[in-house]
Amino acid sequence: MITAHIMPLTILLPLVGAYIILLFGSRHKILARNVALATAGVTFAMVCFITYLVSAHGTFVYHLGGWAPPLGIELMADNITAFLLVTFASVAFIVLLFASDVLPGEINPKVITRYYALYLVLLGSLLGIVLSNDFFNIYVFLEISSIAAAALVAVNGDKLAMEASVKYLIMSTLGSGTVLMGIAGLYMVTGYLNLDFIASNLSAAYAGYPLTVLMTLAMLVVGIAVKAALFPLHVWLPDAHGAAPTSSSAILSGLVVKVYIAVLLKLLYRVFPLDFIAALPLQASLLVMATLGIFVGSILAIRQKDIKKMLAYSTVAQIGYVFLGIGLFSEKAMIGAVLHVFNHAVMKSMLFLSAGLLIKYSGRREIADLAGLGRTYPLPMIAFSVGALSMVGIPSFSGFISKWYLGLGALEANQLLFLVVLLVSSLLNAFYYLPIVIAGFFKKGTVEVEKQVIPVGAQISLIFLIAATFFFGLFSNIPVSYIAPTIQGLFGMFGGV
Amino acid sequence: MDNLFYAMAFVIFLTGFWIMLSHANLIKKIIGMNIMESAVFLFLVAIGYVRDGSAPIVTEASSAITYVNPLPSALILTGIVVSVSVTAFALGLIVRLYQHYGTVDVDEITRMRSEEQ
Repeated sequence: MITAHIMPLTILLPLVGAYIILLFGSRHKILARNVALATAGVTFAMVCFITYLVSAHGTFVYHLGGWAPPLGIELMADNITAFLLVTFASVAFIVLLFASDVLPGEINPKVITRYYALYLVLLGSLLGIVLSNDFFNIYVFLEISSIAAAALVAVNGDKLAMEASVKYLIMSTLGSGTVLMGIAGLYMVTGYLNLDFIASNLSAAYAGYPLTVLMTLAMLVVGIAVKAALFPLHVWLPDAHGAAPTSSSAILSGLVVKVYIAVLLKLLYRVFPLDFIAALPLQASLLVMATLGIFVGSILAIRQKDIKKMLAYSTVAQIGYVFLGIGLFSEKAMIGAVLHVFNHAVMKSMLFLSAGLLIKYSGRREIADLAGLGRTYPLPMIAFSVGALSMVGIPSFSGFISKWYLGLGALEANQLLFLVVLLVSSLLNAFYYLPIVIAGFFKKGTVEVEKQVIPVGAQISLIFLIAATFFFGLFSNIPVSYIAPTIQGLFGMFGGV
Repeated sequence: MDNLFYAMAFVIFLTGFWIMLSHANLIKKIIGMNIMESAVFLFLVAIGYVRDGSAPIVTEASSAITYVNPLPSALILTGIVVSVSVTAFALGLIVRLYQHYGTVDVDEITRMRSEEQ
């Protein structure tokens, strides 16, 4: 019975967990923490089970309430969806493990219970967006995720974080308002909200109302790009990710911006036919914006003095990679983009968590003050170095694999220019990440820091993330062989590009 | 004439969009956000409207009458709930910001922040 209903249960479990935490957590702090950890852990296990089911039985479909589409809402898991689910659930669990030990020293003890509840709501909405096959359902989960994410930024109540949160919320609502208008347009011309039904009716609708369909596509892409912080719509991201508490930054940079990319993937590869998109300037504009994002993000990152702001600008650049992979419209580049969603989630959360620990123990946020901390606090500095090397794209780290596939995709699409973009941007990454690593280990510190014990949970989560970076750098064929057939199927369906 | 609702919805949508982007006052931004979302709701209602259609309540006596499409209205109910909660949360944040800075003007806040640093 549980097998048949596993998908809605996976979305429901974190939401129920959040509810329990809010009911009982304010009186029993330890209970809140344990319920949060247990919920995230079980959710991760369930997601792994979905992944197994998908690999054993193929695409997995669930009709909510037993109503078949187009009447009912449909949940669907194919290989790409399952891969993204594992990404979200695993990273969210590891970050929560870290947060459960480090948060009490970082944010106001009164709000910790609420923090856990918000975190679980966010996790539930992320899984919902990935699993849902119904456009309006996706919109509702999008809004839940933007409220929860903005609240996770503002949770501590300090001025900077509140201001960043308001900015984030306003931009995010602009994005989702635009997306909703696009969804309404799709419903108007096709009469359906289910993605598959929209897809099968779209060409007839395009014949009748070409302008409406084009405008709908434009609104959806722009709305998603605002929420995913594609350049030049990224302005809210550095403030929000820089001012948030450590674990919030990790989850926002690692996961929340990625989930909108999951929506874009659904839209471009499942709803709008490829030959339709190929006839539009969409591909060119995605590629230009992605390239500009990669360069501008990297250059602004170099200029930052605050380590968290630097990491946030680096996210702007890394989002550019993912959009580049989507925009190239080739099989290999698409594999690279999906892999990079996972690899970047692991790397960036590791970087944010280790930077958060270093900030916490040294009391300084400036990059220059982190010199010499590698000797006092080896583990966070090693984790930071692994993340940094992986970002630069050194072979045997996971960041290399996604860049490798993006490069292959650029070759496959005959767009050699983007190979150069990848190489130059790797150099730029090295330019702002490596000095921190070198100074961290070999320079003498500018501030005296007393050695404190790092909590066990934080240590375990960092070690896990380091291990994942190496594991998926060395054994990249495991994720690739999982998602490649589906992606080949997507391209095969439209006769290739 | 039938397209008038759609056209109006877009005019209102862009008005709200413009208010959100151009005004520095946070409360006005939130008002703009609500105008924008109302436009989307108007658009959805207009999609579902059928000329001379009645409310879709099926009784034995009225089974032959044309009905308006009830689905968009149901979607809008959800949309309104979402919009209200976003508005409430944003206003809550703005109240806290006002307590810190004594103003709801974004430019003022940015200026005060840069003076502090």
